Amino acid sequence: MAEVGSGIGQSRWTNALFVAPYMLILFGLLIVPLCLGIWLAFQDYDMLGGWAGGVGLENFQNLLDDRIFRGTVRNTIKFVLMTTPAFVVLGLFLALALNNALRRSGILRTIFFGSSVLSVTIVTLVWRLVYLPDRGLLANALGLLGLPGVDLVTSQVWALPAIAIVTVWWIIGLPMTLFLAGLQQIPPELYEAAALDNAGRWRTLTGITLPSIRRTIVVVAVIEVILQFQLFGQALLITGGGPDNTTRPMVQFIYEAGFRDLQLGFAAAASQVLFALMLIAALAQFWAGRRQGA
Amino acid sequence: MFRRALLPLAALGALFATQALAQPKTEITFARFFGACEGDYGTSQDVAKARGECGVMTTLVNLFNATNKDNIVVKPQIIEWGPYYQQLNARIAAKDIPTIAVMHAAQLGDYTRYVEELDGVLKEAGIDAADFTPNARNAVTVGGKIYAMPWDTHSWLWHFNVGLFKQAGLVDAQGQPLVPKSAEELMAHAKQMKEKTGKPYIIMATSGAGDFANGARGYYSWLYDQGGSIFPNGYEKADFHTPASLAAFGVFEQLAKNDYITKGLDGSGGLGGFMNGIGAVYMTGTWRIDDFLAASAKPGGALSEGYTTRIFPNLFKNQAVWTDNHSWVLPKGGSTTPAARKAALVFLKFLWDHNFDWARGGGHLPSRQSLMADYAKLPLRQYVVDIPSFGRALPHEVRRQFGFQNMIGEEVANIVNAGKTAAQAADAAQERSVALLRGR
Repeated sequence: MAEVGSGIGQSRWTNALFVAPYMLILFGLLIVPLCLGIWLAFQDYDMLGGWAGGVGLENFQNLLDDRIFRGTVRNTIKFVLMTTPAFVVLGLFLALALNNALRRSGILRTIFFGSSVLSVTIVTLVWRLVYLPDRGLLANALGLLGLPGVDLVTSQVWALPAIAIVTVWWIIGLPMTLFLAGLQQIPPELYEAAALDNAGRWRTLTGITLPSIRRTIVVVAVIEVILQFQLFGQALLITGGGPDNTTRPMVQFIYEAGFRDLQLGFAAAASQVLFALMLIAALAQFWAGRRQGA
Repeated sequence: MFRRALLPLAALGALFATQALAQPKTEITFARFFGACEGDYGTSQDVAKARGECGVMTTLVNLFNATNKDNIVVKPQIIEWGPYYQQLNARIAAKDIPTIAVMHAAQLGDYTRYVEELDGVLKEAGIDAADFTPNARNAVTVGGKIYAMPWDTHSWLWHFNVGLFKQAGLVDAQGQPLVPKSAEELMAHAKQMKEKTGKPYIIMATSGAGDFANGARGYYSWLYDQGGSIFPNGYEKADFHTPASLAAFGVFEQLAKNDYITKGLDGSGGLGGFMNGIGAVYMTGTWRIDDFLAASAKPGGALSEGYTTRIFPNLFKNQAVWTDNHSWVLPKGGSTTPAARKAALVFLKFLWDHNFDWARGGGHLPSRQSLMADYAKLPLRQYVVDIPSFGRALPHEVRRQFGFQNMIGEEVANIVNAGKTAAQAADAAQERSVALLRGR
């Protein structure tokens, strides 16, 4: 028996083979590109012209001086602030409403998740028809109510919220599903005990449900922050970044600088700023989540 | 027994013999935009019946693949035009290079290091460069060398809903729309149109990434009418504050302030809007003539009372207009074998021989001087056939022309949709041009 168990807990180099495929992919597709991206951010690198030497912090200085880039940082943060709370609140609301075994709830869960499988092209095509000035669904609906039409996508105030609405409609399914999974982890005895104590719905929600899914709320918030910082397709296809740059997100700026204007070093520097912002926001949420749990 | 064994052997021998005699297939890749329309033209080889850029292009490739004697197979790689160059850049950087690629002549200056010089190649393919129109020759020549086979000249037009012009009383004795000759006259006509029909004078798509070229082409045309340039002091520093530049932006400002131009429309909204009569003039290119002619032939439609087109009107000094050219390039490294290179030349010659089909179905002006007379006989083409003689484009020395087009178009859209003034748009364009030219 001792011989059989002697290998357990011992370190052998062959054990590394089990994690080797994952590590290879992690290094090849994540760590190496990440390091290359950081290196690129300090270089003069033209996509077609190639490398022309290091430029120190010049790319970052140019970013700081670039009014369009500063605008994209503002727009992106605004967008994250608009959408993340919406995803958490609305996702939780839908999950609470549909967390039962009723047939209609199953159908509604499928419907709410259904839009998530559509590509961004289809989603924006549909919503462009909704937002079309004068002849769109929204304009027609307002017309039926005797109200004047609004042109959301050309309004400097409303264009970004209009994109946020599209985004929430599109991928509300994921937070809803995560919350449903979290809700189903809560032991039913807790609710039975609360019922015996005559706890009301609100008291049950705040005393049992929310504390029990605290970690899920943090996970949803962190996932959504990371996802929404990467806003691109919806803005590009609905407004192209307009009107007057009020909807241009950071990823569109990076795409245009790198792939259209060929300035890979400059685009890589902008990517590092985006990476830093995402990291700070995600860590801040983790930290806040842990403090609340402590 | 012996005979039974012989039979399969004979069949095998015949198979090898057939394969030895058959010429091996040569596949070449063909990167292009112009859309995908396999649903309508997937198997069609009848070029005479093909309509529109996509229809003609798809049919030509079908015809070539079915009829060429060299066993060449052209594999189209179709990309949406908006991100086409971004993808081509990425492909060149990743060494995934197409054998033949379409390229706007305005882009050639940025790509001369990455595409083959074609002076000798065209001769080898049997293409007579002496037949290029002067406009086309100028467009594909950089530093005295030819880098592409020109495929057309295309330009920016005004497309008219004649019915609305009649309703507004803006037609001459022959029932043809009155074309304004100055910015003041344009505003007066637009005012009359709005008062009489309640509709905007101009329809222009200004929303969405693919629509920004529209405003830029209008801006360039009105800039060139004044003999203006955005590079009066060399090609490394743009100047958007010249009187001509401010006046070109200013026309859009006046149109927007008075609601004489549609706001917030994307490409399909603009096109559908014109077909449905939401405005009187649609600003778009030569490639739409046939589509609108077909729409006007349908009874009961918004264009059924008449459709016509004219060159983008000169509101200032001398008639000039923005032009560009589609052309075919051979990216370096795209032909991986001598057979592929030979096949590319055979296909280029085939395209050259079908240049008129492109001009007829695609709507553009041909790149061959010898086809111009026949082109002018096509419907409405008499109004556009003179474009190559006064068409203008940015010189090839100007880098990042795609970026400039997009940026200028965005600023025109900002005037139209966001209420910017001409001076504010010029300020923003100036600032953005510095960032655009900062790279190499």
